[in-house]
Amino acid sequence: MADYETDDEKVEAIKKWWKENGMSVVAGVAIGLAAVFGWRAWVEHRELVGQQASAAFEQLMANAEGEDSAAALAQADAIRAGFGGSAYASLADLMVARVKLKAGDAAGAVAALEQVMTQAPDPALARIAALRLARILLDKGDLDRAAAIAAQYADTGSFSGDFAAIQGDIAASQGRVAEARTAYERAIAAGASLSQLLKLKLDNLPAAG
Amino acid sequence: MLQAIRERAQGWIAWLIVGLISVPFALWGIQSYTGFGGEPVAAVVDGADITQREFDQRFQNTRMELRERLGAAYRPDLIDDRQLRAEVLDDMIRERLVLETSRALGLRASDQEVRMTVLADPAFQVKGRFDKETYETRLRQNGMVPAQFEDRLRQRLLVAQLPRALVATELVTDREMDEATRLTRQKRDLSYLTLAAERFASADPVPDAEIAGYYETNRAKFEIPEQVKVEYLVLDAEHMPGVATPSDDKLREAYEAHPERFGQPERRRARHILISVPAGADADTEAKAKAAVDAARGRIAQGEDFAAVAKEVSQDPGTKAKGGDLGEFGRGVMDPAFEKAAFAQAQGQLGEPVRSRFGFHLIETTGITPASIKPFEAVKPELIVEVTKQDASAHFFDLSERLATLSYENRDSLAPAAEQLGLKVEASDWVPRTGGAGVFASPKVLTAAFSEDLVKQGVNSEIIEPEKGKMEVVVLRVLDHREPSVKPLDEVRAEVIDALQQRRSQAAALAAASALSERLKAGAKLADIAGDYALTQPGALTREDAKVPQPIRDLAFTLPRPAAGAQSAGTAELPEGAALVVVTQVEDGSLEGAPPGVKAQQAQALTQAIGSQGYRHLLEDLESRAKIERKPLAEGSNLE
Repeated sequence: MADYETDDEKVEAIKKWWKENGMSVVAGVAIGLAAVFGWRAWVEHRELVGQQASAAFEQLMANAEGEDSAAALAQADAIRAGFGGSAYASLADLMVARVKLKAGDAAGAVAALEQVMTQAPDPALARIAALRLARILLDKGDLDRAAAIAAQYADTGSFSGDFAAIQGDIAASQGRVAEARTAYERAIAAGASLSQLLKLKLDNLPAAG
Repeated sequence: MLQAIRERAQGWIAWLIVGLISVPFALWGIQSYTGFGGEPVAAVVDGADITQREFDQRFQNTRMELRERLGAAYRPDLIDDRQLRAEVLDDMIRERLVLETSRALGLRASDQEVRMTVLADPAFQVKGRFDKETYETRLRQNGMVPAQFEDRLRQRLLVAQLPRALVATELVTDREMDEATRLTRQKRDLSYLTLAAERFASADPVPDAEIAGYYETNRAKFEIPEQVKVEYLVLDAEHMPGVATPSDDKLREAYEAHPERFGQPERRRARHILISVPAGADADTEAKAKAAVDAARGRIAQGEDFAAVAKEVSQDPGTKAKGGDLGEFGRGVMDPAFEKAAFAQAQGQLGEPVRSRFGFHLIETTGITPASIKPFEAVKPELIVEVTKQDASAHFFDLSERLATLSYENRDSLAPAAEQLGLKVEASDWVPRTGGAGVFASPKVLTAAFSEDLVKQGVNSEIIEPEKGKMEVVVLRVLDHREPSVKPLDEVRAEVIDALQQRRSQAAALAAASALSERLKAGAKLADIAGDYALTQPGALTREDAKVPQPIRDLAFTLPRPAAGAQSAGTAELPEGAALVVVTQVEDGSLEGAPPGVKAQQAQALTQAIGSQGYRHLLEDLESRAKIERKPLAEGSNLE
């Protein structure tokens, strides 16, 4: 920095500097403040929307628990419309699948679960949806599609046992006893749900295929 | 030099210094954002810390809960600290993982839910309604302010939402329900031959080498655990020499120390007229009620009879017919505003209307029973019991103190203490670490009896209180100690031979059953090969039917399902022998004939089970994808 002889010169230099850089300083400060406040507003907004979605979903669970399927489906529509793409929308779809299956609308349940599989914000939710979908397909006798899903999700870590159990069910219902046996054994080894029941299925297989 | 500084101070050096000083101010508090140089951390889950302090607190709470749950059975020495720590940390990691995942997914616990949860918590309620003061006091007792508590509650609610959602959305298909019913209620038609082991017993001598081998491999069976023999003194308030009945002077002294204890507080009698106002009513309703109560007051002031007006306008269904009479009551019964007025008014005076949470009351105090104190003679029996009890416990503590001193001063014998205090020295038989009857059931007594000091040096123990709060103390001394040992072979030889012969005949029975089973596979019928073995044909059974021994049932239900007209066979080992089991038919279970509602109930149970296991798999899935770092646990970082 240069030395200045008099105060006037200093004032002059500052004025000059301000003339050259003043705009950028003001703009910088303004942008900075806008960013800080903007970010805060954004976080607050997200919090608010999240809370609204949460309350709406709690309402949906209450409707479903009260066996009021019309209200539940309407509430699920509202969640999908208001909070599309959120995790609550996917959870609402899971609920729709349950409600529709109970009402005998398997096709509707299948559509809802497929929606979760493509839109879920976390792979674990998609896997849960896929598992439920495969179980419904198995129930409706659509073994080919159930088998395709079970094969696609065969390597999904903690869920792999459940998909192996589906494969066992498919093989058993097609009379392929040996295959069913290995699939059930694999399922139990991988820690599938309801392993006790799987053991019963295994014990119930005929001697040889 | 100074001159130079002063000159330059006006220039760039001054700015530099100001600049340097401003740096720490600008960064002040930043560590709370970055976790920079912060507290020690127990684990990191996807970048989120679980601090050592949080962990210690949770560990402490878990241990406390454990102690409360187990009660007297709680034995700190039986709990594996390291394992408990690992479990607690695993729990916290899982919780944090769900929390972070829920947040990342955009899940939230709403303000509304937090509020509802607080309002519904019975711990914060007085007479079934939420009470703000109680709420704040409760929190203060736990060292929290509402904002802090609500934050934690919000976190808890958030962590719970995902599992709740997954279980609530779980479904069950007809096929799954049918299959579960068919399998769990399945019946199998079975019959079996019992081959008792004793029929295969042989008189052949057992070779010595075999005996020695069995003894060596089964030493644990012949172990005698560590044991002690002790002598002990028990001082028990219930069996102490009697305490004399207290003198009248002493009783009077006790009475006069706190005569107010025997008092009866003031009671009042009142009648009232209620104009009720529902909770949350608007100002208009409120004003109308006020006008109505004022009108009633006006009528009574003009000379109308209170009871008559009450009968006509009061909205208290309980008292209306009785002219508003409430009877006599003490403090703490009525609504606070009502009570205040009723206890402030003079007898017979008509008060100003009072607003309680029920509405407006017009109150007249009709009677006053002043506070009184019962005379000495009336409470004397009560005092005798009380003072005697006090004397006894004072006497007990005095004696136990003397016992402590005497047994400490004469460290190698209990006799002097026994003599001076009139107690009897008792001796025990051998007691193992697992305890025995009487005082040896107490973990504290056992811990002392097996402590190094007592075992090695043979000195008296300190005084031990086997059960907290019970007026009983024990002093003991170890007379003899036996290290754990194994009984010599000679002593157990007969036992070993017995076991070996049993084993031999058991093996022979199993072999015979297997041989028979081969003949069944070749097509023979069970009845044809039964010979003189016992044939049992219980018919179709469920899995749980206790009519048939469990090993046989277990085998029957794991044999392959036989084709029509064919049979499945296998051999089962029984405690003393073997069985040859044949299944001829399998009958699928059904819910036909079951009471209505059972099906729905079972569907719900199955859904619940599938849902919670689905959530378990989701957790495992999250865990496998997350970055979890456990820091080595600092041992002893907290104190019991």
